[in-house]
Amino acid sequence: MKRLLSILLAALLSAAAPAWAADGTVTAGILKPGEALRGKFLQERRLQGFDAPLKTEGSYLLSPASGLLWRAEKPFAVVTMINGDGLVQLANGQETLRLPAARLPFLSRLFAVFEGALLGDWRKLSDQFTVAQSGNERDWTLALTPLKNGDAEVMPISRINVSGGRFVQKVEIVRVNGDSDRITFSDQTVVQDKPTPDEIQLFSKVKTP
Amino acid sequence: MRRTAALIWLALVCLSAGYVGYQAVNGIALRTDLTALLPRDERDPILQKVNDAVSSSLSRRAVFLVGHAERAKARQGAASVSQALAASGAFSIERDALNAERLKRVGALYWPHRGALLSNADRAALQADQGEAVATRALSQAYGFVGLSDSRLLVEDPFLLFPAFMSHLPFPMSRLSVDDGMLSAHAQGMTWILVTGLVGGDPYDLAVQEAAVAAYDTAVAAAQAQAPGLAVKHLGAVFFAFQAARASLDEARILAFTAAAGTILLVVCVFRRLSVLWLNLLAVGTGLLVGLAASLAIFGEIHVASLLFGTSLIGIAVDYALQYSVGFFDGDAPDPARRLSHVLSGISLGLLCTLIGYIALMLAPFPGLRQIAVFSAIGLGAAFASVVLWFPRLDRTPMLHHGRPVLGAMAALWRVWETPVGRRAVAAILVALAIAGTAGLTRLHANDDVRSMQSLSKPLLREQEEVRDIIGATVSPQFILVRAGSDDAALRTEEELAVRLAPLVTDGALSGFQTPAAFVPSPERQAENRRLIRDRLEAPFLARQRAALGLAPAPPGVERDDTVLTLDDALGSGAVPFLSQLIIAPGVHVVMLEGLTDADALRATLASLPGVRLVDPTGDFSALLSKYRHQALWQLALTAALVAPVLLWRYGWRRGVLVLVPSVAAVVLTPALLALIGQAMTFFHAMALVLVLAIGVDYAVFCAESSHARRPLTMLAILLAAMTTTLSFGLLAFSRAHAVHVFGLTVLIGITLAFLLAPLAAAGRARKP
Repeated sequence: MKRLLSILLAALLSAAAPAWAADGTVTAGILKPGEALRGKFLQERRLQGFDAPLKTEGSYLLSPASGLLWRAEKPFAVVTMINGDGLVQLANGQETLRLPAARLPFLSRLFAVFEGALLGDWRKLSDQFTVAQSGNERDWTLALTPLKNGDAEVMPISRINVSGGRFVQKVEIVRVNGDSDRITFSDQTVVQDKPTPDEIQLFSKVKTP
Repeated sequence: MRRTAALIWLALVCLSAGYVGYQAVNGIALRTDLTALLPRDERDPILQKVNDAVSSSLSRRAVFLVGHAERAKARQGAASVSQALAASGAFSIERDALNAERLKRVGALYWPHRGALLSNADRAALQADQGEAVATRALSQAYGFVGLSDSRLLVEDPFLLFPAFMSHLPFPMSRLSVDDGMLSAHAQGMTWILVTGLVGGDPYDLAVQEAAVAAYDTAVAAAQAQAPGLAVKHLGAVFFAFQAARASLDEARILAFTAAAGTILLVVCVFRRLSVLWLNLLAVGTGLLVGLAASLAIFGEIHVASLLFGTSLIGIAVDYALQYSVGFFDGDAPDPARRLSHVLSGISLGLLCTLIGYIALMLAPFPGLRQIAVFSAIGLGAAFASVVLWFPRLDRTPMLHHGRPVLGAMAALWRVWETPVGRRAVAAILVALAIAGTAGLTRLHANDDVRSMQSLSKPLLREQEEVRDIIGATVSPQFILVRAGSDDAALRTEEELAVRLAPLVTDGALSGFQTPAAFVPSPERQAENRRLIRDRLEAPFLARQRAALGLAPAPPGVERDDTVLTLDDALGSGAVPFLSQLIIAPGVHVVMLEGLTDADALRATLASLPGVRLVDPTGDFSALLSKYRHQALWQLALTAALVAPVLLWRYGWRRGVLVLVPSVAAVVLTPALLALIGQAMTFFHAMALVLVLAIGVDYAVFCAESSHARRPLTMLAILLAAMTTTLSFGLLAFSRAHAVHVFGLTVLIGITLAFLLAPLAAAGRARKP
């Protein structure tokens, strides 16, 4: 559950891939109203005590109106939906996890960050991280380090590295215990925010079991 | 001789004054809990022990919710409130319900036994041979978006059975989520932080209540000064008890003042002499003082209810003084000695009959009622002693002549009973009363539900609802008691019980429950879990699972730790402090219930399970009240049966019966008339009737003992007595506490009837001048 924050953050960063402003500061907000982002991902999870990383491939949809749909296809069909109501995960069509937002205060805080990033408000992130940036408009990196007074219980993360160009391309999350996730994005496109009926149905599961 | 007796009495009264003064300096132990008024349930000592243990832990619990629109301020406020509450010493605050440290200890307790532990859902899945679903869930967590909290776990526990078991442990308040070490909830656009604690003493002790409320008020004020907009809600028996005690103390003060002021006013108006007032106050004062001293000496403490009823003692104690005082108007009794001798037989017999009533009350197995009975009986005896021993010595009052109009009115009252027209009118009224009474008797019904007798603070009830809305259902006062030959047998019973309770949770009759077996499965269940894991999960899927996770195949022949987790392990580790509250004694366990809405459905479910019973302290209390209502009515009959021989011995058959009629009629008619206005009979009605009988006999005896010439004087004394009794007892009818209200109302009606019918007692004598 703790990892939720980190990955969600990665996802939202990808959506809100920062634009490189003329004055050298990172700005964000590439989605215009009515737009959504689709793409593919490869997640490599390196765990302590495991020789090989656990690799997951799949696609995602980030819809400002409906939420985030994270659909792993290989090696297992695991679908995760997250929005303001909470989080639901299905494996082979069976619900394996449900986290209602009402019971997860930090989830709602995350959505504040989520919103902030979508709107290009990086101050929301700087509440929890020191943000260091380098590179240029076409090839930039952000290094996020949790603030000392941050919430270690909720976020046992030692650092997050994000890099990309027009879109986020790579996110690396290193956890305090040495585990890490590397997510590589591809085939990202801005589309009309019109989820398919199947996707709408999946999102609807978050609200009602 | 009389002089010596008076001096000895003076010494005794001074001793009492000294004793009460000494006690008052040290702080008189005031009790406010209803349960202290109850008999101890001696038939079932284990049940009593469990009841005590559970209700004392429940009644000491206090819940605080600290809320603010900003999360940080809510957290800061909660920290400040808990710190202030803990620093006050009035509460011990339970720190960090489920922080990382606690979770680590819980994990350390269970980890070595993980091969025998399954969550309910996983167990059900394996029993249904759906091991693959369990395996898939683990993979989805390993590969999925959310991920794992501890990856090393996966190497040891590739099906992730252990985290599933841990996260389904039914800790109380598990509906709340842990947000950085604080139990939090979101409601009404605010973040609420839960702070729980135990009040640092008996929540029914007034001093503990005052300290708790003061600590709470101070803590809230300080936290709100730091963060404006901070909201704090509180819940706990100690706060309810404080409000109830304060209301009843306030009430007792008002009632005592009104009774005293009314009595004084009455005496001054009738006698126009302060000296008469002093004599009356002396009798009442010594009665109260000696009664209080004796109660404290015998019981070591006094209950607020006894204090409340004690104020009413004034009304009866003043009767004897009034009987003496009306002698001031008596031309035949110009000196104190004759004033006394004229009334001595009447008040002695009255005292005797009243004491018989109180002795019957003393036989009631209610500790608090014994206090009242001792207080009243000794107080009355003391007032009587003061009248008999001191009045003649202190009385300097000459004969008073201004009483003629009043006595004329009293004589007119008597004539009603002596003229044929008056007799017919009285007979008509009696017939009407008999008809109304008969109608009422057919409507007589009882209601012993203690909830209908409580008057809980409305603002606190509202707050309780608000707290429940935010944190979900709270612990129910009802609980399930499991009794078996051993702890293991009790755990097995609880496992069976859990199966039966599950449908009730689905139906909403219950929102949750905590059995010890959920924290420590029975040895049989542990063995069965091991088999299920081995046969339904590891044998078919382990190799595949390890491969899917990229782990090397499990090394063959590795010995698993298969020691059984015992209740002692769990209790000894202290990792689950809550568990110790559920284990009362070997084989005697408690199952806590949350959000119970349908006790009948639960009872029906439990009926066929041996060794298991639902304990409903409120319901049991109501049942006890019912039992003792019956007993009180028997005591009423007993009192009448004890008084009757005294009266028959004194007056012979015909007159004896006539003397008995007014009080018996009052006792029968009063509940009948109350039934007509729809009031259900309760234990408190019954106890009031015991008093009505005693006082009613008093009035009848005064009338019967009175010579024809003294009748107007006797009538005046009875009228004054009835009025003062009404002032003190009848005023209780205005109490907000239902039990006190019905007591007062019953006495009010009963005394009125007893007074109106009292002259009947003299009827036998009327024909023989």
